[in-house]
Amino acid sequence: MAEMHLKNVSKRWGNFVGVDNFDLHIADEEFIVLLGPSGCGKSTTMRMIAGLEDVTDGEIWIGDRMVNRLEPKDRDIAMVFQSYGLYPQLSVYENIRFPLKVRKAPKEEHHERVMRAAEMVELTDLLERRPAALSGGQRQRVALGRAIVRKPTVFLMDEPLSNLDAKLRVSTRAQIKNLQHKLRTTTIYVTHDQIEAMTLADRVVVMNKGKIQQVGTPTDIYDYPANTFVASFIGSPAMNLVNGHIENGVFSAENIRVPGLRTDISGPVTLGFRAEDVSLAPDGEGELRAPVYSMELLGEASMISYRLGEALVSIKAPKDFRIEIGDEVGTHIPAAMCHLFDADTGESLRLSE
Amino acid sequence: MAKSVNQKPLPLVALSTGFVLLWLFLAAFPFIWTAWGSFKVEADFFSRTDWMNALTGPATEAQTGSRFTGDGYYGAWIEQGFWKAVVNSTIVVFCVVTISLTFGTLGGYALARSGFKYTFWLLIAALIFRAMPHVTLVSGYLLPFFEMNIWGYLPTTIIVLVAINQPFTLWMLHSFFLTIPKDLDESAMVDGCTRFQAFRLAVIPVMWPGVVTTGLFSFLLAYNDFTVTSMLLSQENQTMIPKINSFLGSTQQEGKVMYAVAAAVSAMAPLFVLVMVFQRQIVSGLTAGAVKG
Repeated sequence: MAEMHLKNVSKRWGNFVGVDNFDLHIADEEFIVLLGPSGCGKSTTMRMIAGLEDVTDGEIWIGDRMVNRLEPKDRDIAMVFQSYGLYPQLSVYENIRFPLKVRKAPKEEHHERVMRAAEMVELTDLLERRPAALSGGQRQRVALGRAIVRKPTVFLMDEPLSNLDAKLRVSTRAQIKNLQHKLRTTTIYVTHDQIEAMTLADRVVVMNKGKIQQVGTPTDIYDYPANTFVASFIGSPAMNLVNGHIENGVFSAENIRVPGLRTDISGPVTLGFRAEDVSLAPDGEGELRAPVYSMELLGEASMISYRLGEALVSIKAPKDFRIEIGDEVGTHIPAAMCHLFDADTGESLRLSE
Repeated sequence: MAKSVNQKPLPLVALSTGFVLLWLFLAAFPFIWTAWGSFKVEADFFSRTDWMNALTGPATEAQTGSRFTGDGYYGAWIEQGFWKAVVNSTIVVFCVVTISLTFGTLGGYALARSGFKYTFWLLIAALIFRAMPHVTLVSGYLLPFFEMNIWGYLPTTIIVLVAINQPFTLWMLHSFFLTIPKDLDESAMVDGCTRFQAFRLAVIPVMWPGVVTTGLFSFLLAYNDFTVTSMLLSQENQTMIPKINSFLGSTQQEGKVMYAVAAAVSAMAPLFVLVMVFQRQIVSGLTAGAVKG
């Protein structure tokens, strides 16, 4: 068990910057999720922690050891790969036992430890099978079992659920959450799926183009996105973003006028609000009035979208609400639920309290 | 609807079966003919009166008192010392296969896992050397070998054969290693292996079909080679193929040509056995990577 510190870690290939100045303290027993679109450097960051990729600049500390120059095997980590990385010639039992064997753990402990790990990932019935005879979910559980059979300082998980089907993903996700809670091991988890990030993480690190965009608890990130990238990446649907002007506390753009905002700024800004924070307005009223662009039934709600310039704005309406495409309906946007972002940099214009 | 939907029309079945049988006959005929004839005397096998004599063997019966004779084999193996050529061949083939597989797996793995651009140029260079006719290499080697006084010995030939064979082994194993996901060695390294342990414990067990197939091709190259062995080996160190050739070169003497026939059959037999034993690995090796993404 240990805390970690990534000090200004960078990765470059020639002129290409994979990870730029990544700086993060990770507390003991914390569940950190690195979240971002593909190619944002999240996997590279994890591979640098694992020692599978060299660090160009900066230092990685696990506990009180600087591990930059250590081989993967000497870093005391366990990793779960997206494509499982199981040994096809070995049975499930031998796969889980493999780390104990190569690390020369005392032989008499092997059986007990393998069985305990197998029990935690519910594989006790399948120990004699080869990986080829397992389903995707079972294979991923073998990979998990192999990771927990030792007591590593850090768990690394590289998109462990993305090869599973949707239903299995939900149950395996819960299993991972439960395992981490039981084992209390510092965990770093890489994903591009914001729902996984929200459900699993103690803290989420949102990355884009090699840079950290925001670090915070899932609630923080959802409620106070630091910039338009985070706002448009988190939540489903993502936050609506509308470009316009603010003058005397009134935001205005085509078909939309929101009064009651802060009065200390003026000029071009981006207005952000979430689909579930707004409501339909009675006839002829509403801060936003425009013809409906499309209407989707989600089951628990109806989703109405407007086209405002280039932006597509989604609104959640009650589930029995119906309207024809092209008809006009107003939406009430409470000023308190709005976020303002700088029109050029995309940074949040939230008043610092 | 008793007939299954998959049933092909009868003429098509007959035609394709007939074609396969014809092909099989054409392909196997020379081997069977030689194998059968190797138990006859020269007067029968190379009979000028009737080609059927090679099958029935009247001269064999007249000369030896039996319809089959092992004279050709006896002469080749014992009198002419073909057994020594077999021993030499075994040594050469064993060494060539072992050495080229060792370098091939290590080098192929390194090239497959290295992210640098030079791997491409190394492989292209290897391909160019592989494409050259063997004899051009040998003619270049000859003089230095004489001067260094290492001409005619088995180790010299082994080195040259490995040099000729290595580019191919490297290519083939390189492409096999590419089909093995990187996650496999990486998870082994995280699990506690050194790079070499990961190679030995995680990658090689998955690689067997590839190693066997490549090994077989190396085997065939060393076993069947004539250009290199005939020019680089002295009379007493000859391997099987140049030895058979030297039997053929002495056709003036009665019966000698039958030694060549017997020796040729002796050289063929191990190949059949080998392919039979390894057929499963060879097939899975040849098709590996073709279907699985």
